[in-house]
Amino acid sequence: MSESTAGPSTPSRKRSRWQNSDDNDHEEDQQLIINPAKRRIKLKQPASSAAPPNRQIPKYPVHSVYVPPRTYHPPITPSRSVYSYERLNQIEEGTYGVVFRAKDKQTGDIVALKKLKLDEEKNGFPITALREINALMACRHENVVGIREVVVGDTLTQVFIVMDFIEHDLKSLLTLMPSPFLQSEIKTLMLQLLSAVKHCHANWILHRDLKTSNLLMNNRGTIMVADFGLARRYGDPVGVGGMTQLVVTLWYRAPEILLGAETYSTAVDMWSVGCIFAELLLKEPLFQAKNELELISMIFKLLGPPTNNTWPAYSSLPLAQTITLPPPHPHQFRQKFQYMTTAGIDLLMSMLTYDPDQRISAEEALEHPYFTFVLFIARSCYKFNEVHRESPLPKHPDLFGSFPSAAAGEKKRKVFDSPSAPARASDYKVLTEFDM
Amino acid sequence: MAPTFYPLASLSQIEKTPSRVDGIPEDLEEDLRAYGCKLIHEAGILLKQKQVAVATAQILFQRFWYVSSMKMFGIGDVGMGSLYLASKLEECPLRTRDLINVYDLLQQRAAHSITSKVVGSSSEFKYAPMSYFGNTFYDIKDAIVVHEMQLLKRLGFNVQVVLPYGTLINYLRLLGLMAQEDACTRAWGYLNDALQTPVYTLYQVPTIVCAAIYLAARHLRIALPSQSPHCWWELFDADWEDLWSVCGYIMRLYRERSEDERVRVIGMISKKGVRNWLEKYALNTDNGQQS
Repeated sequence: MSESTAGPSTPSRKRSRWQNSDDNDHEEDQQLIINPAKRRIKLKQPASSAAPPNRQIPKYPVHSVYVPPRTYHPPITPSRSVYSYERLNQIEEGTYGVVFRAKDKQTGDIVALKKLKLDEEKNGFPITALREINALMACRHENVVGIREVVVGDTLTQVFIVMDFIEHDLKSLLTLMPSPFLQSEIKTLMLQLLSAVKHCHANWILHRDLKTSNLLMNNRGTIMVADFGLARRYGDPVGVGGMTQLVVTLWYRAPEILLGAETYSTAVDMWSVGCIFAELLLKEPLFQAKNELELISMIFKLLGPPTNNTWPAYSSLPLAQTITLPPPHPHQFRQKFQYMTTAGIDLLMSMLTYDPDQRISAEEALEHPYFTFVLFIARSCYKFNEVHRESPLPKHPDLFGSFPSAAAGEKKRKVFDSPSAPARASDYKVLTEFDM
Repeated sequence: MAPTFYPLASLSQIEKTPSRVDGIPEDLEEDLRAYGCKLIHEAGILLKQKQVAVATAQILFQRFWYVSSMKMFGIGDVGMGSLYLASKLEECPLRTRDLINVYDLLQQRAAHSITSKVVGSSSEFKYAPMSYFGNTFYDIKDAIVVHEMQLLKRLGFNVQVVLPYGTLINYLRLLGLMAQEDACTRAWGYLNDALQTPVYTLYQVPTIVCAAIYLAARHLRIALPSQSPHCWWELFDADWEDLWSVCGYIMRLYRERSEDERVRVIGMISKKGVRNWLEKYALNTDNGQQS
């Protein structure tokens, strides 16, 4: 440990001289120490000669966890060339650019290369791309897609983000998989999603585009948050420099953004998480609205129109005056999610809450009884401290099924592929064609 | 929360910077780095830019010279590029036109300070703005974009920066120095001045903050436990040798500079000036052009 703490000018040699001293010698060491202040007078001396010779060797821990050894910091390294990777196939193309699957020529690792669109830029490197790269680097987490590096092509307009390759995205998986996720699986996925969101928020990053197509899933039951193209840093107070309302895919957009709030915070991500939760339960998006107005009325229908209690700040929002509230009616969560447990409905409702201040945070949601092993309920209708298991438990990621990856160009295998009876030669060709 | 890992120059990068390989002596490089950072600082003030953006720009600027030579890039261009980039990183983007005008003003003023000294006349400085749609403007604008990209590329897009101010407040509170306003101001000032030196690319933030507090305490004669088993900086995981070296970097900024040195530096805002100087004075350059 002490060797690794050595910075550029830390003489590890000096330390080792004292490393063998046992406890008895220690008393002497302290007396032998020369006053370091005396040696500090000549300021222009090279650093090493100014050191007090008899430094006390600190017993472990050498460093606080907040001050890691200097060698833990990476050196300044220029971007590598994109030719360090071999292009395999195109995964998808969006407005932001193209994503390729590629192979690292040195290590053989399979990665995803995201090419940034820089051609039309008048103001240098786009701030959105900077935010994306910075957010990915700042939010390293087991449930956030890992950024490996940023590589460049021949000209200054070719920039690629190198990320870990993940086999699926949750959106296409939900549409393709034969049966919806089990409750136990949904719990695991939600725990992973929430811990990723908590981590981003703790690092002052808002994702601002959480949705199932931006959640990637590997064949080992782990989901990862991806596509930080709309992410940005937030501060306290929120919204320094103004924030745009043009964020979050419509179906997952929080009501305060819809109503034109100029500042918003971590709660917008939590609304999206609630929409994703509902989508996992329903196997289809919760609010499939065509425009903002339809979305608002769908939200009003499910949650009941906002009241002074459920959303005190409602009337002060810029667009609130333009909307006529429907007659008050209670929420429809129970009707919509008939087979859900009470705890599950409670969690969903605390995410899909009107008032951003009352909406549950990622940290609180992780502690929600829906996920916990055993729940103690002390209510009048139950016996005191009756043990109530919120079953089923979250499933271990290793127990998840795996699926063929469309992104890797794999095809779905036939489910029942029993051997066929020996065919006559003339029929053979027909059979194989049928198989395809 | 886990500590952030920001890039620091490696031992080999420190021992032989690209500029030194190109024949630029160590003291000249240090002066040019400091002057480039001073320009960023002055431009930041004139642009009313947030200090976090200015400080970030100065740190990126310093990092850049561990992977690039001053023969290839001018300190003016790289300074503009890093201020432009850092402003985006800190969510307070600048208009290129404002940046160009401010840098133009600063350079004209610097050039004027040389000529007025040489000629001996005390003519008043008058700023001559460049033409609004002129070629100069568009050339500089292109240069900013190119240098921003060069910074990103050569720093491997690793542009996170950890600023020292929060840590300073923490440490001052722990040391019970918050009540002494002059100590806080002075230490804060040393941290800002240290931005003109490479220390933020060489040492971790706690070490630099300790050095700033150490210098402030020495100048104000504030006694802090500094006897060897109980040195206050060890509380903050700073090594004496490193702290001492940071102090040296900061104090060297304040040394008296001769008129020649000042003129020399101002003449090398662009890489052209550096190349001219190299042709004139550097004897042992390793490039093959002279063979």
